[in-house]
Amino acid sequence: MVAQDAHAHAGPQGFIRKYVFSLDHKVIGLQYYFLALAAVFVGMFLSLLMRIHMIWPTAILPLVGEIRPETYLQLLTMHGTIMVFFVLTTAPQSGFGNYFLPIQIGAPDMAFPVLNMLSFWTTFVAFVVMLAAFFAVGGAPLHGWTGYAPLSALTNSGPGEQLGADLWITSIAIFCIASLMGALNFITTVLDLRAKGMTMMRMPLTCWAWLITAILGLLAFGVLLSAGILLLLDRNLGTSFYVPLVVVNGQVMGHKGGSPLLWQHLFWFFGHPEVYIAILPGMGVASQLLSTFARKPIFGYKAMVYAIMAIGILGFVVWGHHMFMSGMSPYSAFAFSIMTMAIGVPSAIKTFNWLGTLYKAKIRFQTPMLYAIGFVSLFVSGGLSGPFLAQPVLDIPLHDTAFVVGHFHLIMGVAAIFGMFAGTYYWFPKMFGRMMNESLGRIHFVFTLIGTYCIFMPMHYLGMAGQPRRYSQFTEVAYLQHLMPLNRFITYAAFVTIAAQVIFVINLFWSMFKGPKASDNPWESTTLEWTTATPPPHDNFAGHTPVVYHGPYEYSVPGAAKDYVMQTDPAGVTAH
Amino acid sequence: MHTVDTHHDEGKGQYFWVWGALLVLTAAEVGLAYNQVFQPVQMLEALMILSVIKSALIIGWFMHLKYEIAAMKWVMMTAVTICLCLMCVFFADAFRIVHLGVK
Amino acid sequence: MSDMAVPHGMAGEFEPSLFGAYSKKIGMWLFLLSDTLTFGALLFAYSYGRISNPDWPTPFHKESIINATIMTGCLLSSSLTMVLGVLAARRGDRSWTRNWILFTMFFGVAFIVLHGMEWTKLIAEGMTPSKNPWSSTVQQFGGTFFTLTGMHMMHVTIGVIYLGVVALRKKFLPILLICWLAAWLGTPADSVFHVGAHVILIGAIVAAMIMFLKPKDYDAHDVEIAGLYWHFVDLVWMFIFPLVYLMSTRITG
Repeated sequence: MVAQDAHAHAGPQGFIRKYVFSLDHKVIGLQYYFLALAAVFVGMFLSLLMRIHMIWPTAILPLVGEIRPETYLQLLTMHGTIMVFFVLTTAPQSGFGNYFLPIQIGAPDMAFPVLNMLSFWTTFVAFVVMLAAFFAVGGAPLHGWTGYAPLSALTNSGPGEQLGADLWITSIAIFCIASLMGALNFITTVLDLRAKGMTMMRMPLTCWAWLITAILGLLAFGVLLSAGILLLLDRNLGTSFYVPLVVVNGQVMGHKGGSPLLWQHLFWFFGHPEVYIAILPGMGVASQLLSTFARKPIFGYKAMVYAIMAIGILGFVVWGHHMFMSGMSPYSAFAFSIMTMAIGVPSAIKTFNWLGTLYKAKIRFQTPMLYAIGFVSLFVSGGLSGPFLAQPVLDIPLHDTAFVVGHFHLIMGVAAIFGMFAGTYYWFPKMFGRMMNESLGRIHFVFTLIGTYCIFMPMHYLGMAGQPRRYSQFTEVAYLQHLMPLNRFITYAAFVTIAAQVIFVINLFWSMFKGPKASDNPWESTTLEWTTATPPPHDNFAGHTPVVYHGPYEYSVPGAAKDYVMQTDPAGVTAH
Repeated sequence: MHTVDTHHDEGKGQYFWVWGALLVLTAAEVGLAYNQVFQPVQMLEALMILSVIKSALIIGWFMHLKYEIAAMKWVMMTAVTICLCLMCVFFADAFRIVHLGVK
Repeated sequence: MSDMAVPHGMAGEFEPSLFGAYSKKIGMWLFLLSDTLTFGALLFAYSYGRISNPDWPTPFHKESIINATIMTGCLLSSSLTMVLGVLAARRGDRSWTRNWILFTMFFGVAFIVLHGMEWTKLIAEGMTPSKNPWSSTVQQFGGTFFTLTGMHMMHVTIGVIYLGVVALRKKFLPILLICWLAAWLGTPADSVFHVGAHVILIGAIVAAMIMFLKPKDYDAHDVEIAGLYWHFVDLVWMFIFPLVYLMSTRITG
């Protein structure tokens, strides 16, 4: 009764069909990966400019010139948008997910290869439109990545709020469509194209994470699309969805009867699931790597699966905790607070299961493992400040301070990026057929981990001391004077950390061409991608479909010949 | 392409019945609204109940969800229903705008 | 959607689908799920505005309501013809599949034309996205009306073009181009159709790209998923109709 569309076909010839408009999920995955890599350097450069502005507000920079207060707002807007949409959403889910989800479940390709290609090129267009906002008249928008109305809904509310903001919201809308195409493709692939024996409960946790992330994306991005359309209408056709009667620069605007809260609701209805879209794939990668390099089965596989599901579901009912200070109904705030606290439970389940996996294990401290452990560390450090912000009473003093910036950068930003680094070091041999340099990887890890903590930990103290977020030029503010040494320290740490990323780039591109050749299974891992050739052939398994006999994390199985049992090994000892 | 599965027995007749029911429900909606049978809030409730029934008919018969397996029915309908119900939280703030008199 | 689906006997090499359906159907259902939320968000935005503006105008006279009721009837009947087309496709009856789809498109076009006339009338009465002649305090009325119905009409138009491609394939392109020229040149410049005609042109270009890049014969599965999309468009109207029209009925008129 089930008719899977299959893709057993010869690889395409010619550069364009093979590398540009490719239908191969592996090529598309790499395209996403390099798009995110380009985006992350743009975003990082912007953050560096912001840090420079914070401690030397009047500095004249080469190429950039002077950073005026409105420039600072433009920088933070574009930094946030590019990082959240084009890095944290793109690389872990669309990049690694595209490359490894079909291989890990034994499929020859994604369910809809053409849609997959369209999805990438739509994302690419969105990225180009987003970058175009820099060059629009008036420059990039200054309403922050959250685009709060009415600032974002009025074209005369600031220098960047003309064409720049239109391009910004158009880019977001295009990105929504791209993500929807990607998400339904991921879900269909998991539902329909699992190889024989690959039951849902035998899927690697990475696949579970990608599946739940795709479901979140499917349900969240449609709402943002609507919100964006309404914002565009407010800006260009004079409708009043988000704008009440307002006066800007002494001029009464034509809008009436709208509510800025509506934008916040619609935006955060998408925005909070988006946080989990960024972090869940990282959790999947961390689970996979901790088990592999600890040479132990993941502690509590089923609990991990249910925890991912619980995080996914709870992720949808907590968006209001971003709005405690917005004038939202206090009754809703109470409910949102409770639900937000509840999300700590599945998060803690995951954390303790990761620790349980590491407990008494013979850990192989190779670079991917270092990053996986770094992920857990950042997830815990960032997560612990979550319950503070989840309480309306505590959120009142902490809202819109550097505390929030420190919190979400640790847990959502850098933790997700550590997941990407872990994935890169782990899967690089499979993707490019060569090994990355281990020593450079370790140096990169040490600098990045310590640098990250040096940047974002002090921000918690800054926030509690009252340093606001999104304000430029507070070097002259009296009560913030004693915080300036700490601010300078953060900026220096940012310099060092960003410089350390050069090590990664050198390692990545040098290893791609000059690294030692990798074997098919260099990490002695068990999942399906390590059973095929390196790099995998066009249809992943060279014409046949693997048959799966085991769960994904059969390490140190008593009675087995080696300390791991491949998922496709029919002779291996069955643990469950 | 595989042959299309037609194991479930479905006559044409039932679709005409569903179509007729949808037209009758629409007529009922128009009648209720045009004669203003209820106060606005009750009217909204009545119309929404009728619309949900109509959408159930469309999803179940016309879109053949009735014939899909239980997993598909439950997962999809639950997901979308929960998400839509969640958005009702918005209304708490819409009412506050009225009560607090913010324009 | 799925390209180069080589016929093969690989189904036995995979786990049974969790949803017991072929990939394209699941893909379409998932798309409709997210589209439900897109429309849901618009409807909630509308309701939010309506709750927070208690003096919401109720301007729709008898003729508007009758017009909208006929439109609803068209959409419901189109759903019936669509489902009959799906049945014919399952039987392998190609000519009746095409006929039923053409009936469906006829009802869809009737819906668009009636709706466009309604828009033209309202615009002539002075309604724009930013203001309306019935209430100076509630500006949102025009905006919400045009946003909701416009988004829905866009879906109907896409649906008609989609069905046309499935039923007539490349033969549909010249028909689309003629419709575009007729609607563009044959209507006065202040008519909704004059501007809206260009949607047909965009649709024709996209359809041409799809059909020339990936020529294929549309089978019963394709008809079924096209039907799913069409029924969904019908379904959305079942909520827009009472919320936008019936809740804004004017009795004395």
